[in-house]
Amino acid sequence: VPLSPQFLEALRAIVGSEGLIVSDEGRMVYECDMHTFYKGAPDAVALPSTAAQVQAIVRLCRRDKVPVVPRGSGTGLIGGAMAARGGVMVGLNRMNAILEIDIPNRCATVQPGLINLWLTNAVRERGWFFAPDPSSQMVSSIGGNVATNAGGPHCLKHGITTNHVLGLEIVTGAGELVRLGDAVSDRPGYDLVGTAVGAEGTFGLVTAVTVRLMHAAEAVKTALASFSSMEMAAEAVSAIIAAGILPAALEMLDEVMIGAINAGVGAGYPEKSAAVLLIELDGPLAEVEAQAERAAEICRERGALDVRVARDDAERTLLWKGRKEAAGAVGRLAPTYLLQDAVVPRSKLPVIMRQMEEIAIRHNVLLANVFHAGDGNLHPLICYDDRDPDQLARAKAANEELLAAAIALGGSVTGEHGIGYDKAKNLPMQYADADLNFMYRLRGVFDPDRLMNPDKLLPSHPACGEGFRPERPVLPAGTWI
Amino acid sequence: VAVSTRALVDGFRAIVGAAHATDDREARQRAAVDGVVPQIVLSPASTDQVAASVALAASETLAIVPRGSGSTLDQGLPAERADVVLDLRRLDRIVEYNPDDLTVTVEAGVTAGALAATLDRHAQFLAVDPPFAATRTLGGLAATNASGPRRARYGTLRDLLLGVRFVQADGVTTWGGSKVVKSVTGYDVPKLMVGALGTLGVITEMTLRLHARPDVERTSLVVMPDAAAAQRFSARVVDSVLQPGRLEVFDAAVLTALGVARQGVGVAVSFGSVAAAVNAETAALESMARIAGAGAATMDAEFWRRYERAWERVDGGALVTIGSLPTRVADTFEAVSHAASAIPGVDVRAGGSAMLGSFRVSVGRAAAVALGDFVRRLRGTVAAWGGHVMVQGASRDVRANVDPWGPVPADALALMRSIKQTFDPGRLLNPGRYVDGL
Repeated sequence: VPLSPQFLEALRAIVGSEGLIVSDEGRMVYECDMHTFYKGAPDAVALPSTAAQVQAIVRLCRRDKVPVVPRGSGTGLIGGAMAARGGVMVGLNRMNAILEIDIPNRCATVQPGLINLWLTNAVRERGWFFAPDPSSQMVSSIGGNVATNAGGPHCLKHGITTNHVLGLEIVTGAGELVRLGDAVSDRPGYDLVGTAVGAEGTFGLVTAVTVRLMHAAEAVKTALASFSSMEMAAEAVSAIIAAGILPAALEMLDEVMIGAINAGVGAGYPEKSAAVLLIELDGPLAEVEAQAERAAEICRERGALDVRVARDDAERTLLWKGRKEAAGAVGRLAPTYLLQDAVVPRSKLPVIMRQMEEIAIRHNVLLANVFHAGDGNLHPLICYDDRDPDQLARAKAANEELLAAAIALGGSVTGEHGIGYDKAKNLPMQYADADLNFMYRLRGVFDPDRLMNPDKLLPSHPACGEGFRPERPVLPAGTWI
Repeated sequence: VAVSTRALVDGFRAIVGAAHATDDREARQRAAVDGVVPQIVLSPASTDQVAASVALAASETLAIVPRGSGSTLDQGLPAERADVVLDLRRLDRIVEYNPDDLTVTVEAGVTAGALAATLDRHAQFLAVDPPFAATRTLGGLAATNASGPRRARYGTLRDLLLGVRFVQADGVTTWGGSKVVKSVTGYDVPKLMVGALGTLGVITEMTLRLHARPDVERTSLVVMPDAAAAQRFSARVVDSVLQPGRLEVFDAAVLTALGVARQGVGVAVSFGSVAAAVNAETAALESMARIAGAGAATMDAEFWRRYERAWERVDGGALVTIGSLPTRVADTFEAVSHAASAIPGVDVRAGGSAMLGSFRVSVGRAAAVALGDFVRRLRGTVAAWGGHVMVQGASRDVRANVDPWGPVPADALALMRSIKQTFDPGRLLNPGRYVDGL
């Protein structure tokens, strides 16, 4: 249902003409995020510059039962910032100020549109940083990081976004502007901040975030080890962790990926190796040196073909360059790809690597692997040519099978990208009806009219109302009934 | 109650077994919560038994109080009703331990001490160390989000609880989260359960993230002349490349209890890593202390056990926590001293994390009204910078005299009420004890 002229006028009254996009070509820019598979242009795009405007927009939409879709930089990978049912998309990019940096209290308060890396840039000279580092951190917004509970290569040691969020200001789906938590530790009551992080915009819109800052470590050391098989590399990962070493990052790349990166980026990863491990350690200098040596030793014991340790920042940057530009380098292999984000228990990596090869062969698809091995977070890129429907069908089948295999090993549907539109249908793989019913009702607390980012995070259910019917326990027959 | 008590007891016995459902008068009195004597005490041994027990209780609109070791039954507002006490200590199995994944799945009645013994064999540990955690159950630690000095580095159970199985107020068994160290699948339900005091569901099983024990751990104690100097020193450590595993500041009363000094403010810093790094970090700390005009003494391995004992509860006393800020360390100590003038002659000890600004205050035996005054005064002072004061344990009279939770902002409270109303509309789980009497 297109928006009425009266509604658009009311919206214009809130954000002004310069904050409203209604033209076809303007709206088309907002029809998808980085998951270009799913497209849904909003009926209007509003670009508020204050929390009060955000609240007014939500109240207006609620009055007229118009869906609201929040958007940061649009770098999400799950179709989360896409208007599945039209409505108003709220772009928070203009709210990108750093409101306060409070290093003595180890925190900062920022607006949601602030680019992730800008925060670190603002405190780096003083020796501090914002830990969550999704690969998109040069362009993704902190509000988006909060919405998806974003991870990144270094979350193995430093934790994901939720571990670094102390407070939130949100406009709920009920149109209330609420302040949850702040820099002060330990407050009474339910952990509303922890519950709201990762809600993917289904609870409302974030208008300010208080985050934890961390002090940079004394030393950082990066090493690269190459192996003749993925299984061997996976076993080395387990052995490193078993040795009590918690690297800041522990990344793995497969043969296909290594080839694409060497050709595309010129990272100079060892040719003819079937797997590359990138190991980064941070901490006190003596710890980093001792553990880097131990990790290198473990890799050699596990049959590494070659182990190199970066001697300086330039070498370290080069080792990372390939990893960071991996997704782009895949463009040399195929026009497009599906990106899977399932997780397996770390110890199951060798098993899933074998299964992945079998799946690729069975469906005749090319897989390129680049992933967070340290926490078992897989990222196979399933390559296909979107001009060939058969290739797409095979890629999709392989993708679903891979996800099922990860879950069967005790894993999780998504490690850091989120559910969005893409994986809503997959939630029942991990959760029973009772679990989904709980989440469905939890959503209702924040978004009573189910207008906030509809069709995201939770699967839609054919039955209306509570949808998922939990099973009640069967009571023994007795006289009390 | 619509049915005869006899029939109801038989129903519960059919669920948990005759030996584990008792309506014996003495047993019920022993299980009383804030003086409220339950009609029956149940000791289920599985999630299914908990679920059936809760479903049966719910069908008779009986109020349920879940409990573990019982060490925090004196937390929160006085219990309104307690018809069924669910003793979860028979849920004591370590379900699955995967050392290679640094994860463990346990039933809620496993004590932290029992788990530690198992993890120790693989040089791993669960980084949750509130005082006297060893005898407390993990379900209780999660329900109260209890934390200790290691929190500064590893976070609280909020950060370590990966997955949780719980029984909702209607008896429906529910799972939230995952069994792997990284997952963002659906809402973060485990976070909602941590610190909820069992008011949204009875936790029966938890998957936890573990850490590897460092090769070496060493603790240094620096005694500064006053809280302002201790705050400055701590701030210098925090704003450096040093990575302390624990950084606690504590007052002269704690120093006295530790038997190391009679005045001043202590700063205990521990480093855990490979030996070379611990040596280097300790040396750096010692030099920082020298610059600050103090000495750093190396403590023995028993130091943190002695520190734990300094928080031993006194009958008729109170345990209080203060949510504050790293920049308010000195102000917080000052607030405690000021409040202590409400209870002259009573032993008051204060200490906590200088990195987080979270503090713990132990107060000796005093009249309920006087302890209430202490809390009110403290609250009045720390409110100036947004601080919170919560009574973590005290007699029923104290908690009837002063709200143990303190004020919750209206906007957050409205959401909390709505959450409670959504998941426990009949107010059957721990009614009356949580914030605002939820």
